[in-house]
Amino acid sequence: MEQNQDLGLPNVHSKPQMESRADLNGEDMEDASSGTSESKEQQGKGSPNLLLMLQAAERRRTQQPRDRDGLQVSEVGARGQLTEALKTNMQIQFTDQKQEYNKPPTKTVRSMSQSSTDSFTSVHSDSSEDESSPRDKHQKSAKGLSDFCIKNINQADFGRKEIEMAEQEMPALMNLRKRAGGEKPLAGAKVVGCTHITAQTAVLIETLAALGAQCHWAACNIFSTQNAVAAALVKAGISVFAWRGESEDEFWWCIDQCVAAETWQPNIILDDGGDLTHWIYNKYPDLFKKLKGVVEESVTGVYRLYQLSKAGRLSVPAMNVNDSVTKQKFDNLYFCKESILEGLKRTTDIMFGGRHVLVCGYGEVGKGCCAALKALGAVVYVTEVDPICALQACMDGFRVIKMSDILRQVDVVITCTGNKNVVMREHLDKMKSGCIVCNMGHSTSEIDMAGLRTSDLKWVHVRPQVDHVIWPDGKRIVLLAEGRLLNLSCSTVPSFVLSITAATQAMALIELYNAPEGRYKKDVYLLPKKMDEYVANLHLPLFDAHLTELTDDQAKYMGFSKHGPFKHNHYRY
Amino acid sequence: MSEAVGEAKLEVKQASKEVKESENVAEKYSAMTVSKNSEMNMGDLSAVFSAVPTHKPVKKQIQFVEDKQEFSRFPTKAGRRSLSRSISQSSTDSYSSAASYTDSSDDETSPRDKTQVNSKGSSDFCVKNIKQAEFGRREIEIAEQDMSALISLRKRAQSEKPLAGAKIVGCTHITAQTAVLIETLVALGAQCRWTACNIYSTQNEVAAALSETGVAVFAWKGESEDDFWWCIDRCVNTEGWQPNMILDDGGDLTHWMYKKYPNVFKKIRGIVEESVTGVHRLYQLSKAGKLCVPAMNVNDSVTKQKFDNLYCCRESILDGLKRTTDVMFGGKQVVVCGYGEVGKGCCAALKALGAIVYVTEIDPICALQACMDGFRVVKLNEVIRLVDVIITCTGNKNVVTRDQLDRMKNGSIVCNMGHSNTEIDVASLRTPELTWERVRSQVDHVIWPDGKRIILLAEGRLLNLSCSTVPTFVLSITATTQALALIELYNAPEGRYKQDVYLLPKKMDEYVASLHLATFDAHLTELSDEQAKYLGLNKNGPFKPNYYRY
Repeated sequence: MEQNQDLGLPNVHSKPQMESRADLNGEDMEDASSGTSESKEQQGKGSPNLLLMLQAAERRRTQQPRDRDGLQVSEVGARGQLTEALKTNMQIQFTDQKQEYNKPPTKTVRSMSQSSTDSFTSVHSDSSEDESSPRDKHQKSAKGLSDFCIKNINQADFGRKEIEMAEQEMPALMNLRKRAGGEKPLAGAKVVGCTHITAQTAVLIETLAALGAQCHWAACNIFSTQNAVAAALVKAGISVFAWRGESEDEFWWCIDQCVAAETWQPNIILDDGGDLTHWIYNKYPDLFKKLKGVVEESVTGVYRLYQLSKAGRLSVPAMNVNDSVTKQKFDNLYFCKESILEGLKRTTDIMFGGRHVLVCGYGEVGKGCCAALKALGAVVYVTEVDPICALQACMDGFRVIKMSDILRQVDVVITCTGNKNVVMREHLDKMKSGCIVCNMGHSTSEIDMAGLRTSDLKWVHVRPQVDHVIWPDGKRIVLLAEGRLLNLSCSTVPSFVLSITAATQAMALIELYNAPEGRYKKDVYLLPKKMDEYVANLHLPLFDAHLTELTDDQAKYMGFSKHGPFKHNHYRY
Repeated sequence: MSEAVGEAKLEVKQASKEVKESENVAEKYSAMTVSKNSEMNMGDLSAVFSAVPTHKPVKKQIQFVEDKQEFSRFPTKAGRRSLSRSISQSSTDSYSSAASYTDSSDDETSPRDKTQVNSKGSSDFCVKNIKQAEFGRREIEIAEQDMSALISLRKRAQSEKPLAGAKIVGCTHITAQTAVLIETLVALGAQCRWTACNIYSTQNEVAAALSETGVAVFAWKGESEDDFWWCIDRCVNTEGWQPNMILDDGGDLTHWMYKKYPNVFKKIRGIVEESVTGVHRLYQLSKAGKLCVPAMNVNDSVTKQKFDNLYCCRESILDGLKRTTDVMFGGKQVVVCGYGEVGKGCCAALKALGAIVYVTEIDPICALQACMDGFRVVKLNEVIRLVDVIITCTGNKNVVTRDQLDRMKNGSIVCNMGHSNTEIDVASLRTPELTWERVRSQVDHVIWPDGKRIILLAEGRLLNLSCSTVPTFVLSITATTQALALIELYNAPEGRYKQDVYLLPKKMDEYVASLHLATFDAHLTELSDEQAKYLGLNKNGPFKPNYYRY
């Protein structure tokens, strides 16, 4: 980890990093071991295949969030410094956090983008007993390629099936492959990627390959890799360096291998969280300067890029795909509209008709939740701090109130403010018995968990993700997912949402790679509206939606091209 | 897929046009973080005004469509143009249910030739009949009931007089609602001279009431083109009074001053412009480098846009259709052309009544939104034979052509919610083989030779302006926005605004919204200090980055 002194980074860099690493390592090892012991247990049961898969999927759903939140809690509690990093995950409002680009963020709560978090889909995870680190093994793919490092190449066929399933659900990318046809817009591109390695990402990677790119891939999360998928990718000739349950050290090793600065030299980066960008920036500054661009997906990564750009140290163009219209709407509004119902039903079997529900926050997530609940006949109240959003809530027919005015009546409290300490112990004290409390916001901080972990309250774990907190007088509060994100803990991320993200990333890569010299300076850009529209366009066939075309005459009248972009940049959709 | 190859390439190439716009993004982001720390209190108006909000000049605009109108060309005041100048709800005549006292007196003399004196002895005004002042006062009082936001603005700011010393010359519709705005400005310390932006829209009795209280109003219903410009000139050109602020609707006043009194114009502290057309003209001027004062585009403020389009249309589509045709919507098949703000409003309202709604759209992002909201996205030709109602709201022209009208079923209703009368090709219906029958005001039956009837509403003009009311609440939003824009421009420290066109700072936009929350008995939650710090926001806003889409 020797850094280049003249960049002025290393001093700031190394210290906090070491600290956080030490901290992380401890956590990681714990998690890793618990993970493996569980998988052993599972093997022991020797249940039939399907059941195994289901169990595995279920475990992923439960175990994973615990991992991330184990960390969160310790961070929040123990150290101001790390909470800083945590907060940046916050969301769009980048605001005041002074996170240094050169402080590595913790591996866990990096992004609240739906697609950049692990997908808790119903896919299986492997349960191999092989305990040796993949780093120590020498494996070869059928084609003789050995430029990869994964758990077990023999799982490739399994992974291929997963990928084929995902392809079914991601017709947009398949369309993109077809539409590009023989064109190969990415011919010559050497893409180094660092994302979750799941079946859905695999479809993206293979799309990039089909469009002419050479890809090297690493995982952006130490737990999220689907080993079988990684194997299938390797078999298809893509250099993947990732396995499930990497250590912190292995994580950075994988990234370094992936860059392969000496033998291969990437010319474009696809990143999720900014770790890869960070690594190349610090480790291979010369290589970094020659890049065609960086495509960054997560909130955190984008934030780090803006900081870098502000400091004048960003030497290549970067594309912020996180804030593209299509992706934003799907990650928040549409996705939450569905997952709030699924999450609540799955965990509590509640019936919504006539129930009084309090939704804290009327941003995109809040709007989604309110619409869904209203449709089922719930009586919905809203709390809001922003007068414009509050007025929107009024016009949409929701009562805007202060929380303390309504607490005694409500049956469900949902937080989605992105803020902290929205529901405090004193609020919880006033709620009626049986009230359900859950969080759809971005972090664990919205509900004051610490306030509930006191000796006078009894916790009863009734189901996975469901706790009853019992007051001395017998009152029960039903707490979901221990205040973590309900939609990540207790519901699935639809492939459609992931498909939107993947298509956006692919378009951003194509745009950056093909942009003529000078179109993009050393700055952070939003995806051009044109490309955003193209992403939406790729997804329309799924709905059998038929887009109307402008006539020449009409296009002239409106003053824009027949093929878009159709709206000016500050259009709000 | 045959043209797929070329298509993919095309996509990439065309994206290049976007570059310039993308470049602003970083700027936007960095602007966001500026000035989050100033200590402010929402209740304290002076603090609101002295805030340094983050705004940048808007580079581009709503699609301004056809008019390549030259700023230097005088628009004609007569006929269609004067009515179709702006699609802003509030800048068009309000067809509210307010009683029209407009004199049946057969006083044919032009107000220009009459000398009238108000009770204070001033004759610095020109209205139809000063004696109607009392009637007008009653109208204004009714309007005040529904415009509580302005009234509470008066209360909150009365002692501070943020407009003390402001000399505002205004050119808007003169209605009871505008009168509430004008009197608010006066209460905040401004001196006002006012004229009408439309030759037909003035409520004479309101103008009289305003004149009676000492506001110099030059306007009456039914001005001639000549009268119109005379009124504007009288408004501006007066001994011993030089305006330092302009409140305009349509750009005529700005234009007149720019041409006629360039020296006065240069000393103006700011222009507040409300209409789409006026804003467009300002941008043209700014682009040509000829705008020598700061201007504020209030048309595109979030709150105003949402109310003018989404919320207003959501209600008026039902009102307009019911009023004219008594149609029942349950189970009816409706096609809505365009899924922008207006289209979204129409679809939501119709769906709520049980109509089966189809959408046509050209923009894939909006099309995808329609899909996710549960509407079938179709081409018009696919459903034209099925539907009972066609509603256009694209802002485009020739969306419904004669060819399509020919194929519609008997008794189907055709109407327009878009901004102009070009969406439905009405001209093509004026052929000899078709019979037109006027069955009610605003309702025509067009009868084909085989007896098929199409019900055409408002002859293809805007349904919501012709056949429904504009709620005072919507006008209140606009008026409050204008008042705050004036206050902001007037109180801005030297250098905050350059010679460019600006959007209303988000902080002010939020203030407009918060003034209206009382109407709904809505209780805003306040951030604790700790929460504000966590979010990196000021407790009193602005709460969202500039590019937030709401």
